[in-house]
Amino acid sequence: MGTPILEMKSITKTFPGVKALDNVTFSVATDEIHCLVGENGAGKSTLMKVLSGVYPHGTYEGDILFEGQVQQYRGIADSEKAGIAIIYQELALIPEMTVYENIFLGHEIKRGFLVDWNETIRRADEMLKKVKLSVNPAAKVKDLGVGKQQLIEIAKALSKNVKLLILDEPTAALNEDDSDNLLSLLRDLKHQGVTSIMISHKLKEVISIADTVTVLRDGQTVCTLDAHKGEVSEPVLIKYMVGREIENIYPKRDHKRSDEVALEVRTGMRIARPLGDVLKDVSFNVKKGEIVGFAGLMGSGRTELALSIFGNPTGFQVHGDLLINGEEKHFARPEQAIDAGLAYVTEDRKAKGLILIQDVKENITLANLQEIARRGVVDGNAEVKVANEYRVNLNIKTPSVEQKVGNLSGGNQQKVSLGKWLFVKPDVLILDEPTRGIDVGAKFEIYTLMNGLVQQGMSIIMISSELPEVLGMSDRVYVVSAGRITGELPIEEATQEKIMHLATS
Amino acid sequence: MAVSTDTGSKKSSTGLMGELGKRFRSNMQTYTIILALVAIWIFFAILTGGACLQPQNVSNLFRQMTVTSFLAIGMVFVIVTGNIDLSVGKLAGFVSVVVAYFQANIWYNLIPNQPYVAAVLSIIIGLGVGVLFGVMQGYMISFLQVPSFIVTLAGMFILTGLILLVTQGKTIPANQAGFDLIAQGYLPPLVGWIIAAIVVVILFWNMTRSRQRKRQHGFELPSIALDLATTIFYSLLVIAYVWVVNQYKGVQVPVLLLAVAAVIMSYIANNTRFGRYAYAIGGNREAARLSGINIRRSIFLIFILMGLLAGIAGIVLASYVGYGTIAAGQGYELDAIASAILGGTSTLGGVGTVFGALIGSLIMTSLTTGLQMLNVQPAWQYLVKGIVLVLAVYADVAFKKNR
Repeated sequence: MGTPILEMKSITKTFPGVKALDNVTFSVATDEIHCLVGENGAGKSTLMKVLSGVYPHGTYEGDILFEGQVQQYRGIADSEKAGIAIIYQELALIPEMTVYENIFLGHEIKRGFLVDWNETIRRADEMLKKVKLSVNPAAKVKDLGVGKQQLIEIAKALSKNVKLLILDEPTAALNEDDSDNLLSLLRDLKHQGVTSIMISHKLKEVISIADTVTVLRDGQTVCTLDAHKGEVSEPVLIKYMVGREIENIYPKRDHKRSDEVALEVRTGMRIARPLGDVLKDVSFNVKKGEIVGFAGLMGSGRTELALSIFGNPTGFQVHGDLLINGEEKHFARPEQAIDAGLAYVTEDRKAKGLILIQDVKENITLANLQEIARRGVVDGNAEVKVANEYRVNLNIKTPSVEQKVGNLSGGNQQKVSLGKWLFVKPDVLILDEPTRGIDVGAKFEIYTLMNGLVQQGMSIIMISSELPEVLGMSDRVYVVSAGRITGELPIEEATQEKIMHLATS
Repeated sequence: MAVSTDTGSKKSSTGLMGELGKRFRSNMQTYTIILALVAIWIFFAILTGGACLQPQNVSNLFRQMTVTSFLAIGMVFVIVTGNIDLSVGKLAGFVSVVVAYFQANIWYNLIPNQPYVAAVLSIIIGLGVGVLFGVMQGYMISFLQVPSFIVTLAGMFILTGLILLVTQGKTIPANQAGFDLIAQGYLPPLVGWIIAAIVVVILFWNMTRSRQRKRQHGFELPSIALDLATTIFYSLLVIAYVWVVNQYKGVQVPVLLLAVAAVIMSYIANNTRFGRYAYAIGGNREAARLSGINIRRSIFLIFILMGLLAGIAGIVLASYVGYGTIAAGQGYELDAIASAILGGTSTLGGVGTVFGALIGSLIMTSLTTGLQMLNVQPAWQYLVKGIVLVLAVYADVAFKKNR
């Protein structure tokens, strides 16, 4: 290891009632890629917020040394000035602005009192070349994919002469190509003198890219491992992260699939939109007690497919026949789909799934209030009872069901989201990226739960961009590419290579 | 390697004070605003040498807050769903002139010497006008998807025009016997005491029933001392209020109407599916939509409800002033919005209480009447109101940040 660019010594950060960081020590060497791993709620993001000045000096205990100097940041502006840039999971770009406006937002190049747009565009072009992104700097960010937006974020950081780049789960929303692209860029940047800290749940990535890995658990540093000494492997990381060994994160289940079809889309479903169809000629079926995986790249149309059978809340025109338990159905609103026995757990639990300012019980009962209401009046006691049942059964870690969902960790939020839709008591459960951004322990719990549900006869449609998950959990796999189903594979025949081939065809 | 230290949670303090403290922290915003109200009263009590706490002044204060309060409790629902209604002031004003017109020109010819029938018919017409306008605005907002800000801004213009058309620029009297009771009537002291007794009985009955239900469900019961303390506190509040106003003329009819409306609205907000859906829509519209909530229907109904409350406000206004004037309801929408926001309603949607809006409205009215008693010029009254509104919201923002 070279000389440390960053040393965080004995950092302790307390929130009312919780010690989020407890005497954490974290040291990053110059010109390395240092991965920070740990379960959700382990304190990774908090540590990075302390570092970047989101939690200003004085609100935590301990010292931060950057390039050998003690730092006392009062805000993000201070840490940026020192050469630290942080890129969050939720991208902070402004969709309606152009690429070059976004790159220099907040530190515009000025001539006198005015912004020098020509120089801005020239410099933006330069930054884009550095991140190997060939887009028109004048394009609007909203017209670009997530992968490209991620690179623009990095370009923005580079334009601030960053020395230490922090990435919070940069590949969570990226497909495999974009992820590889991003990781190789980080390697290039390392050779150009940019040190990176990467938070990630994708252990394979961590292993492929990290020089050093630090594991956090329950707000404490568990260990720091040197990849070049061969200390880093998936089982080792998982062991340190969860504090126990998980042999197989995809639990086995006894097969008792029936041949009875629970849900079928016939005669080619199509979603029409003025700019061209989102879905074309889609037909598939789901049997009782079956987990059907929908694999494909981001933006291939899987979410739109799920929404179109779930009462089409997007308001596009949907054509095609939908049969549930053999009966033909036409849904105009999600309400009708729910009544017919469907449930949809969204991929974006914060923006579309949960009401973060409401508590656990209100979120769990929202989609099925009639169950605990009589003549329109909600029975508050019954609500607490129901919520507590799901809290116990799903092992939701929360002080009480009166806790605001926004205060829970990602994994527990996802469990609340699941609880909400299980309370609807569906026949067919649609899970859209059920384990995105949640830790290994919670993933395992969700997989176990899924197995339990299909054994009770529920059918599950699982949309997932993580191929190991698709292969580990599905009974059958459909591959979606550019709005079409390009293949159907029984699990016995499915391999990563075959799926990727179909997904890119 | 890890240094394992026990970071187990601290034992929660028990006992009555501990539980009171917990309740206080969880409803901090409501209590802060109540404290602000008390502070304002103490301030005026000192400056007026106690005059503002005399029964007559207290009685008038509560009577004066009623019109905007009807608007404010409806506005809570509107803002909670992420909408706004700028037309309510003028709608109340329009209802008041329509009612005055019927009182002065129509019933007089159709059913002479039937003041009470005329009053009832006026009320029905007033409510009808309010609801009809609510239906029209609600339809445009929910089904035609025109933003509420624009629909109700347009509504405000249209209603201003309609008021001028109905009044022909003149003032219409609406002080006929019977009709004036709505806002100017007082209950005999004995009736006031009977109502107070009924309310106290209901409060205690509610407490025991709630405990019973919780026990049936096998929940941990809140301490009996705390429950009793709260119930006794609210009972004393009701008794003290009736005692004070009885020293003047008795319980004011419009305040009683407002209390009933507020209790119903509060119940709708907290205990019905309709209320829950309103908060869900404001809290996260997409999540609400995907949860099967019919957003259009909910918002449509909320604007109808707002129209109904504006109708009530208009009727009370006509009876209170005794006239339908061209300036009726001018600026009331702003008072209503300010009251709701003072009371903790979030302009981002999803948060707000009917009770808070009432306290907010009481603060606004207290400022106006208090400053009037001190003979402060109207110009300064506006300045003070504006400053208090901004300070209150700033205090709330700063407080949330530090938490």
